[in-house]
Amino acid sequence: MTFLPRRIPASLIGLIFLLFGALKAIDPAGFAIDIRNYRLLPWTACVLLALYLPWLEIICGVALLFNRAYRGALVVTAALLIEFIIAYSSARLRGLDIACGCFGHGTQSFHWPVLIMDPFLLAILIYLLKAELRPLSPVIRAGPGPDPE
Amino acid sequence: MSRALRQALSLLLLACLPALATALWHPRRPAWQSDEVTLSAATAWGSAVLWVDARPDADFARAHIPGAVPLNEDHWDDQLNALLDQWTAKRKIVVYCSSLSCQASHDVARRLRDEAAMPNVFVLQGGWEAWRKQHAP
Repeated sequence: MTFLPRRIPASLIGLIFLLFGALKAIDPAGFAIDIRNYRLLPWTACVLLALYLPWLEIICGVALLFNRAYRGALVVTAALLIEFIIAYSSARLRGLDIACGCFGHGTQSFHWPVLIMDPFLLAILIYLLKAELRPLSPVIRAGPGPDPE
Repeated sequence: MSRALRQALSLLLLACLPALATALWHPRRPAWQSDEVTLSAATAWGSAVLWVDARPDADFARAHIPGAVPLNEDHWDDQLNALLDQWTAKRKIVVYCSSLSCQASHDVARRLRDEAAMPNVFVLQGGWEAWRKQHAP
């Protein structure tokens, strides 16, 4: 019974990661500039992340969407969201008025996704992860009992 | 939990393959060397610098770096011709926009390199704000 209600949010988050990752993968040079604007990392690290992160998002998105390596995808996407939230909050605290880069380089100064959507998605992922890692009840683990006949 | 971590590690490793392909073949892959230049480094180049102002026309009209030419994406074709009149292959182009976090200078610099095939195009770190701070009365 719980399988379907969990699959729906997992698939939706997978779709979001897949789309946002694809938007970033189209223009890695622009995404590298978006990362540099956070003023947290040297340029070489920005380039490496701009090459790597979009594909990690795409692969995790596909994994969630098609229920493959499901637990691992939940862990990685949750870690990515925590990283995005910390990076963006730190930029805002330092007074940087920058585009978040969430939808790729085309989006300029668009703040609501990180401020609202990312914590919301993170809460769902934590719920899904907790549900996934919860030990099975003894009844389910033991399987069906002996036939009364 | 260990299964989750094993799967996470697999996903992290799997993403390395397309990332490598992007680094090698993507037409819009980033350059490994930064194109940013500090104000002190750019001013040390002296008359070899051609300043390019990527801010909106109204901001350029209000104030700009002496000798700068305007070039923004709204009037690209007209302003590019004016820039080419002043440019020689020996000059270094330094593009600036309003501040540290603006994108316009990076976008203009990239178009100059990609579309106009100009070498030695740099972006001023801190933009107009950095210049104004250093030259404030």
